[in-house]
Amino acid sequence: MRNSRILGLGHYVPPRVVTNNDLTALMDTTDEWIQQRTGIRERHFSDGWTGAADMGVDAAREALQRAGIAAQDIDCIIFATLSPDVDMPASACLLQDRMGISGMPAFDVRNQCSGFLYGLAVADKFIKAGTYDHVLVVGSEVHSTGLDLTTRGREVAVIFGDGAGAVLLGPEPDARRGILSTHLHADGKFAEKLWLESPASRARPRLTEEMISGDDPRVFPKMEGRYVFRHAVTRFPEVIREALDANGLAPSDLALLIPHQANLRISQMVAMGLELPEEKVFNNIQRYGNTTAGSIPIALYEAVAAGRVHDGDLVCLAAFGAGFTWASALMRW
Amino acid sequence: MGSTILGLGHHLPAEVERAGVRRPIAVEAVGPSTLAVRAATGALAQAQVGAEAVDFIVFATMTPDVTFPGSGCFFQAQMGCDTVGALDIRAQCAGFLFGLVIADQFIRTGTHARVLVLGAEVHSSGLDYSDAGKHIAQLYGDGAGAALLGTGNGTAGVRGAAIHSDGRQHQRFWCEYPSSRQHPLRMTIDNFRRGRHFPSIDLDAVRSFGEQSLPAVIGEALAAAHTSAERVDRYIIGHVLPEVAERVGARLGAAASRVNIPAARHGHLTAAALPVALSEEVAQGRLGAGATVCLAAAGAGFAWGAAVVTL
Repeated sequence: MRNSRILGLGHYVPPRVVTNNDLTALMDTTDEWIQQRTGIRERHFSDGWTGAADMGVDAAREALQRAGIAAQDIDCIIFATLSPDVDMPASACLLQDRMGISGMPAFDVRNQCSGFLYGLAVADKFIKAGTYDHVLVVGSEVHSTGLDLTTRGREVAVIFGDGAGAVLLGPEPDARRGILSTHLHADGKFAEKLWLESPASRARPRLTEEMISGDDPRVFPKMEGRYVFRHAVTRFPEVIREALDANGLAPSDLALLIPHQANLRISQMVAMGLELPEEKVFNNIQRYGNTTAGSIPIALYEAVAAGRVHDGDLVCLAAFGAGFTWASALMRW
Repeated sequence: MGSTILGLGHHLPAEVERAGVRRPIAVEAVGPSTLAVRAATGALAQAQVGAEAVDFIVFATMTPDVTFPGSGCFFQAQMGCDTVGALDIRAQCAGFLFGLVIADQFIRTGTHARVLVLGAEVHSSGLDYSDAGKHIAQLYGDGAGAALLGTGNGTAGVRGAAIHSDGRQHQRFWCEYPSSRQHPLRMTIDNFRRGRHFPSIDLDAVRSFGEQSLPAVIGEALAAAHTSAERVDRYIIGHVLPEVAERVGARLGAAASRVNIPAARHGHLTAAALPVALSEEVAQGRLGAGATVCLAAAGAGFAWGAAVVTL
């Protein structure tokens, strides 16, 4: 059975930079408070009529160009987002429309912070099974239109940023290279520890004026931060070790770990737990905040561009977030 | 090795009259995950395995319990499937077929042995039953279907499938809000008062797309399965308009008794339509081991597909 590998990477972040100091004009917070707890200095917010697919198109075009693959040769499109352009259909269909291509299956993956890795795992299996040759995986989020940018919402609002990343996955005949394995998990017992409730099909009716603009609006994400932190620092190392164990490898074999950029303090604790030196862990949350499904492909893109990934390197991608869901992918570059 | 269906289950809430028609409607405040638990319980019982035997979950819905996380997570917690992966996908009316194809890859590549594929919807909480919207609202029903897929052994199983999307006409069958592209807020009181959070359908466009795409994709799935139309014991055709499914059946030259049209009985169940109808056929003893079924659906996206499955 063949493997899959990344043929090309692309990314897009909207041009407008919002610093922590910029946020102090909207809510009672400080640059020091945000940096101390999250490591974030600034993030990017989109403007105008820009949705997840609009940003995803730019990331996808760059990935195709770097892979040397034409858009019409994509066999399948997997779009990971929790901030879709419209309620339905999937943002993957809007991406198809914007790129002027049609016919190949296009669907969304809705697995929050682990969305990109869930999408990558599905893409990997499509290629391994020989079903498709070229699968485009996009992770893109426009968080800025779904945040409570007031003092009431500050605990969550300061964390998130907008951004998109994309990879074009293709076949790798050498079983020792490319994506070696993927590992996907979830534990829905904690679904309401980090969530966005409304619209909610389980409510009667699904959406009301009260949910949108009442004293306790339900249309913004909510998080029990300490709870999420505690689970993240357990599940991240666990799923990274699971990937290494599955391939008979150890943390010391890793050339680079790219954790989902949820919080710099989480990444630092994970690195410490695995005894990985700072130069073997890539972080860029300082400049982008948490871009959920966008974070791993953006970080991988920057790591490659910065010369941090070399031919033959063992690279681990890992994520943890809402659901809770968590995942890892181990690849030989 | 391909995958095979080890068990099927479905759950339809009691019928209620709303907007002048009787439909299965989840009156109690539950989401699709809860309906899916009832369907999956049946599928696992039929397969004679417990929840701990499931090693991956694929959940297809367009009406999730909450905005995030996905319904797969809520399902997992209620079902007690511990920490296995739970993938949530959006492919609208073709969601179950996309999920079936994805689950098949997980089994083919040997990483997973028992994958639960769920299609579940609670449409009724998000529809406009007033005079302005009831022509659309009355098309839908609530329900859930489940299929447990496992490693195949011989002739039974998912024998061939084809799935497609074409976003060029996404505005012909969509629900625009909440919309992340609307700055500064994706959902406003103004959008709400204008009813922009309800789905809208261009029935002519959806009808004509269904009539074109379904016979073609069924042909594709039959070819992929190396079989022919006369070997199909039952067509199950999911489309929001029952008359489209009827015309497609006629175009295939299939007698009406060989064509199952879920929307004619339950209203359109979108991602749940195909597994509910297949589970009903088996539960009622009309299809058994060795029967060959062609599942097909077309809808919003546009997304469409077909799969040939031997039970």
